[in-house]
Amino acid sequence: MKNGPLFFLGLFASLTFSFAGVVLFSNYQLGGLTPYYDDSEGKSFPERLPGVAARGQMVYRDLGCVACHTQQVRRPSFGNDQAQGWGERQSVARDYIHQSYPQLGAARIGQDLTNLAGRKPSALDAEDLMKLLYLGQGAMPAYSFLFQDVKVSGQVPKTALKLTGKSAPLPGHAVVPTERAQVLVAYLLSLNTAYDYPESRPVVKTAAKAEGAHK
Amino acid sequence: MSTDSNDSTAIDTHSRGPLLLLLGSGVLWLVISGVLALIASIQLHTPTFFADCAWLTFGRTQALRETAFVYGWLANAGLALGLWIAVRLGGEAMRAGNWVVVGALFWNLGVSLSLVGIAAGDASGHPYFQIPVYAQPLLLVAYGAIAVAGVLAWAGRRHETGFASQWYVFAALFLFPWLFSVAQVTLVWLPVRGVLQAVVAGWFAQGIYSLWLAPLALACAYYLLPKISGRVLPAYSFAVFGFWTLIVMGCWTGGRHLIGGPVPAWIASVAIAACSLMVFHYLVVFLNFRSAIGAKSTALYFTSFGLLAYLLAGLVEAVISLRGVALHAQFTFVEQAVQQLSLYGAVSMVFFGALYFAVPRLVGKNWASSSLVGGHASLVTVGVVLLVVALTAAGFAQSHAMFGATQPAKFADVASATRPWLLVATAAQVALLLGNLMLLVNFAQTVAALVPFRAAANSVSRPALKSVLS
Repeated sequence: MKNGPLFFLGLFASLTFSFAGVVLFSNYQLGGLTPYYDDSEGKSFPERLPGVAARGQMVYRDLGCVACHTQQVRRPSFGNDQAQGWGERQSVARDYIHQSYPQLGAARIGQDLTNLAGRKPSALDAEDLMKLLYLGQGAMPAYSFLFQDVKVSGQVPKTALKLTGKSAPLPGHAVVPTERAQVLVAYLLSLNTAYDYPESRPVVKTAAKAEGAHK
Repeated sequence: MSTDSNDSTAIDTHSRGPLLLLLGSGVLWLVISGVLALIASIQLHTPTFFADCAWLTFGRTQALRETAFVYGWLANAGLALGLWIAVRLGGEAMRAGNWVVVGALFWNLGVSLSLVGIAAGDASGHPYFQIPVYAQPLLLVAYGAIAVAGVLAWAGRRHETGFASQWYVFAALFLFPWLFSVAQVTLVWLPVRGVLQAVVAGWFAQGIYSLWLAPLALACAYYLLPKISGRVLPAYSFAVFGFWTLIVMGCWTGGRHLIGGPVPAWIASVAIAACSLMVFHYLVVFLNFRSAIGAKSTALYFTSFGLLAYLLAGLVEAVISLRGVALHAQFTFVEQAVQQLSLYGAVSMVFFGALYFAVPRLVGKNWASSSLVGGHASLVTVGVVLLVVALTAAGFAQSHAMFGATQPAKFADVASATRPWLLVATAAQVALLLGNLMLLVNFAQTVAALVPFRAAANSVSRPALKSVLS
């Protein structure tokens, strides 16, 4: 290693090599991914997030929800995500093409949220989600700073949380969600990747065997 | 535990201003990140802790802790130790010391700005790259100013023959801006689409560890061990292969976090293969350092602990990257355990070792208190071991609960299964914080001995600045 320029050239080339391999090649493979047009439905998938939900994703991102929740379902034969009720199919790259900040996540301290709005038999509705955010549950903290305690005289605001028991506000008061809470809930209610792309269908066992034999 | 300072040289005393500034800010950030880590750790088992404070949601404290640790402590300390080794092995007094001072000030300004930004919700959201958009260029420029001294040390080196520690230092100094600027372009200025962001982020995060922090730690180890033990490293001629394996393969292992994810399967497959190939690098490191493990000086104790953790982390990575294991380890606290083993157990411990060796030479005096040195050593050892064990156990409990009999798993059960271990992890964070406070106090007292000589130090650095500017 007596040759200085050659040494630095080697360093440069090594990193460029991995950059080209990992980043550029996967970009070449996935960068041009287009939405999938379904003739029978007459529209393409994935659908764009409605504006309010897109703003909600920014709230999701800046609060750091991704530290505890993933948004990626593993294929049914790999892990038990399907048994958890998190999704019938694996997440594929196409699911994320419209997202400016995909929140794949790396820790499941809470549940996976890829299909939160499509849970079976029944998904949480806006009211449940508001309460969950306001009160917290188990290991999930309460995000009470997303809500305001307001004085009411006369009619209670439409958006006020219907709280009972210990968490109920004082008489003459109501707990109303801030705008941030509202867009966040709109985002959470948009989380559903129900559409089945050709590449997301689980590989049938016989096909896998045939492929294995081919190799 | 001896830290004799007999071989303090003119090179050391000349470069002490900039280097002690970097080291001091590093230790300060270490304590700050310790406080943040403690908050994050408590939040895991007591979700109500700081729940009312929007600035400290768990997601934000995690990002804050990580940024203060990596860009505050590891970067400052690593750059200081790396430059110190580069200058010493170059055999010439440090040039452009004032550039280092200015760079260090702006770097720390950038890190402070990043922390405020993350607390306000501006984190970029990528691991090891949480720095908000507006602080990124500042950090890059500040890094450039600090690295000027490294470039000049390379250009002015007296001996043509490179030592292993020199390769590692210069590789780290040279590759960081490459990685950091590419990540800025592909994640922030012209972001790639969809899941590609996760691919780039994985490549970058692995690069930060494998091509920046690990080389800086290895440079310290390759410098210190032969120097303290006075013996030539066994199998030293293999070191070059270990070096290039790390540099060439390092970044390819980043895709192991995406196993089973919504990315092409080859990304994970290549990462798994790269993790196995990296075992060769760890083998070389082991062969080189096998005789040094367990020696009795403070610096050697920390360094050999760090090297053992480094080897262990490498082997664990190779094992948990296998698909069958990854299936269970993925998304659990095991990932955090491996991260702590690498960043705290390996890199930080080696840095501690080098710091205990370097500071007395830079100051020209021994550490102010040897009992604080001993206290730091024992608390940090207990803290790191406890933290890694507790997080691993929490990960196992979590995985077991998620794959358990009741499907779908109740997250309340998962939380109660992991809770005892998370409490242990909090205890470990307390030990680490106390230990690092001892280091901070000891560092401050040791450096305080220099204060009367500040005027003299200034007069030395002025001609240096002139020679750079002319």
